[in-house]
Amino acid sequence: MTSAPTASKKLIEFDDHVVRQFMWASMIWGIVGMLVGVIVAAQLNFHELNLASFLSFGRLRPLHTNAVIFAFVGNMMFAGVYYSTQRLCKARMASDLLSNIHFWGWQLIIVSAAVTLPLGFTRGQEYAELIWPINVAVALIWVVFAVNFFWTLAKRNEPSLYVALWFYISTVITIALLYIVNHLSIPTSLTHSYTVFAGVQNALIQWWYGHNAVAFFLTTPILGIMYYFLPKAVERPVYSYRLSIVHFWSLVFIYIWAGPHHLLNTALPHWLQMLGMFFSLMLWAPSWGGMLNGLLTLRGAWDKLRTDPVVKFFIAAVTFYGMSTFEGPLLSIKAVNALSHYSDWTIGHVHSGALGWNGLMAAGLFYWLTPRLYGTRLYSVSMANMHFWLSLIGILIYVAAMWVSGIMQGLMLNSTNAAGTALTYPNFIETLTAIRPMMGFRIIGGSLYLVGMGLMLFNLWKTAKSGKAVNETREVAVIENPTHDTLGLKTTFLSDPITYVLGGLFLAMGWLFLPPGADMAALIGTLLFAVIAIRRFAVTHATWSAWYDRLLENWIPFTILTFVAVALGGLIQIVPTVMVNRAKNMEDRIQQVYTPLELAGRDIYVSEGCYNCHSQMIRTMLPDVLRYGDYSRMGESIYDHPFQWGSKRTGPDLAREGGKYPHSWHYNHMKDPRSTSVGSNMPAYPHLFEEKFDQKTLPQKIATMVKLGVPYPTMTDVEIKETAIKQGIDIVEKLKAEKLAAAPDTKIVALIAYLQKLGKYDTPEVEKKLQDPTKPELVPLPMNPDVNRSQNRGAE
Amino acid sequence: MKTPHDKNNGPVLREHSYDGIQEYDQKLPNWWLATWYITMVWFVIAWVAYYQFGLGQSDTHEVEQAMAKIAQQQKQELELINDDKLWAMSKDPKVVEAGAATYATTCVACHAADLSAHLAGAKLPGLPLIDQEWKHGGAPTQILTLVRKGAPDVTKGMPPWEPQLGLQRVVEVVAFILSKHNPGEPITLAADSPLKK
Repeated sequence: MTSAPTASKKLIEFDDHVVRQFMWASMIWGIVGMLVGVIVAAQLNFHELNLASFLSFGRLRPLHTNAVIFAFVGNMMFAGVYYSTQRLCKARMASDLLSNIHFWGWQLIIVSAAVTLPLGFTRGQEYAELIWPINVAVALIWVVFAVNFFWTLAKRNEPSLYVALWFYISTVITIALLYIVNHLSIPTSLTHSYTVFAGVQNALIQWWYGHNAVAFFLTTPILGIMYYFLPKAVERPVYSYRLSIVHFWSLVFIYIWAGPHHLLNTALPHWLQMLGMFFSLMLWAPSWGGMLNGLLTLRGAWDKLRTDPVVKFFIAAVTFYGMSTFEGPLLSIKAVNALSHYSDWTIGHVHSGALGWNGLMAAGLFYWLTPRLYGTRLYSVSMANMHFWLSLIGILIYVAAMWVSGIMQGLMLNSTNAAGTALTYPNFIETLTAIRPMMGFRIIGGSLYLVGMGLMLFNLWKTAKSGKAVNETREVAVIENPTHDTLGLKTTFLSDPITYVLGGLFLAMGWLFLPPGADMAALIGTLLFAVIAIRRFAVTHATWSAWYDRLLENWIPFTILTFVAVALGGLIQIVPTVMVNRAKNMEDRIQQVYTPLELAGRDIYVSEGCYNCHSQMIRTMLPDVLRYGDYSRMGESIYDHPFQWGSKRTGPDLAREGGKYPHSWHYNHMKDPRSTSVGSNMPAYPHLFEEKFDQKTLPQKIATMVKLGVPYPTMTDVEIKETAIKQGIDIVEKLKAEKLAAAPDTKIVALIAYLQKLGKYDTPEVEKKLQDPTKPELVPLPMNPDVNRSQNRGAE
Repeated sequence: MKTPHDKNNGPVLREHSYDGIQEYDQKLPNWWLATWYITMVWFVIAWVAYYQFGLGQSDTHEVEQAMAKIAQQQKQELELINDDKLWAMSKDPKVVEAGAATYATTCVACHAADLSAHLAGAKLPGLPLIDQEWKHGGAPTQILTLVRKGAPDVTKGMPPWEPQLGLQRVVEVVAFILSKHNPGEPITLAADSPLKK
């Protein structure tokens, strides 16, 4: 301890203007996003509502998801973060300019998303659809936010970081990491790019991103908001500080590993599936730690639940958080997932999170903020109560309908006869027809929720009108010779907690990855080490606590440790996959390279958003194999930039669609899906028969593919276009034989070419591999648990 | 200094106040810790069992075994099926009814409800199944093979239905089609029949 800090008093004005901006933006975009949600829900039951190419389900659904996640929750998060960070740091945001750039930049990004997505400009990965120029803008604006946020931390007049700020820190750094890695692409034009990763690597990284967008965009910042605004609203101390510590660190560390639970029973290597499933299960308790700290903070103030709409919204939100974080691990169990995946159950799950947790937290936050930001009282408490009940009933109808729908369709799709030799419901449409009433209830539930949002906007607008925008001013003590932010990296890392955690992890990794014999030794080592660590903690926990209290007064070491915690899981899962799963290492099957016309067709498939309803991944499950053909191998999507494995089967899987039906079937099906599939809810695609596919950028696209390692033969630009048209003419001839007319340069022809290629592969000869040992397995690393198992087991 | 374990003093309220927010330092709930430990132990046990002790089947192995079993069973069933048996089935109303039901959901889109492959005068993608002209052979077992395996070039014809429908349903559908025909009726091969070559 040096001399005690001295302080001088200073009057500061918080920047509440930007909070108001983000708040209104969130409400308005929320209503837009949810309106689009109701429209797409209705389109599923009434295909006629796919009114035009730019209003079809495949293009609007990404607009719905992106709007709700990035526009509604994004703006809400920023409002909450800007409000609470200033107060928790006892400082105004570091730069008004950066705050302004952040706000307007973010809105510009949303507007450009709302324009480009319906026009069919997309990257073809869920929640990562926006095209590359917008990606760059998002990254830049995020950096602006990060600088502004950390700069404020650096300037803070409160030495110790409150738990809400821990969660904000983890959000800011992790989203940057996830977003940048998952959006790595090579542009082929101003509006189009190919992802750097393909097939299984692309799938793993996409769901590392997708799952952790849920974690670090929809969960951690909102937990931070809960930790600030809930105790404020109920005027009670937070339930448990040590629970905060344990659940924060375990949450950020474990969440990252759980991504592969989106890829269970697929061609993803088995060890990754195992990690995804078990880390999801281990995530249950850390998630509930947050719920407990929220709910139990209310102890002694339960009466507020009756009187204060803000508390009502918060507590319902936290309850939904608990419910969906229980459901998540449940759905991550491989056997449950075999039923639930690709079905409406998943849709119900995300909506209990988005509508229940995010939406109700947003409502509570806004009802709490608006009167304070306008120096007035809430216009109508009863209207807020009305909003609450509408939301609650809406969510319950929605989620219950999706449970019934998902479980029913999942059971039907997976049902076989008693001998297990044939499907009970071979016709996919039959299972779709069965869930149609449930899809109707979903429209009702969603609409009720939307009406509630409208009530809130009206209520808060009236509230704002009754007051006047006020920025809070406060006298704060400015610390002049701070002792905070002086902790060195050495003291940070060479401390008991960090040494024991990292040492234990290192040993545990040995258990997971080392070859037989060494793996068991490492496991025993891990367990012994854990015992030593626990004994050490029992004796010296006071120093551990003191170290942590000190860490809380140092934002840079805290941020670095958070980064380490979130980066580890991703590194351990992704690096081996990127290194090993290349074409030369594929054992049995290698995808055939797309011809120029097929590639053009694939881009149309991506652009129309077909992946929103069709998977291209036959799982290692008997019902899938009976229905769609042999299970998909890793090598069969190795050239797919981006991968199109999909996550929902509103229609059947297409992994082996190629050669299943004649060209004429596809022609008729795209023109009027009901002509070939009675009872289908697929939109018709008349515009594909008029519009030409993009020949101009085709050479550039193929050049990019070559750059990414796809083995195209050398072709001149003219040859590329000629090959494409030639193949088009061939398809047109076959259509003509069936009395169907199409021009060889139309989109429909390219799309048919692509669909007929799906599932085509070559079998690399073992001999050829032996003759050509280009770069054999030089390094024993990364070690593969699946290979080690076969050694443990003998040959299978 | 009080510790949270001091039962007499109740929960400890940490002194520091963040913008008016204080924190208790309650013990972690035991049931909560227990659920967490159980999930961890489960992870260790499952991983050790599968990877270190090599217990259990891999997913691919399991599904391949199931498919092999189905193939074996179908082979046995097929050995029992011949033209006469199929004709006999086409006279069994129960089999024909089941076949008609499958036909109504799976085949009508291309072959039409009346098997004419025409709907309101327009030609559908499939071939008519009521006339005596057959592209891939008109013998019951030939028809059966075609429905099971699909046309030799599926881009110009019938997809294989056995995987999705299972052998039994395919047999029923063939019985249904045969119920519209009679044994011994004249059979002509279509002009473009691959069997002519």
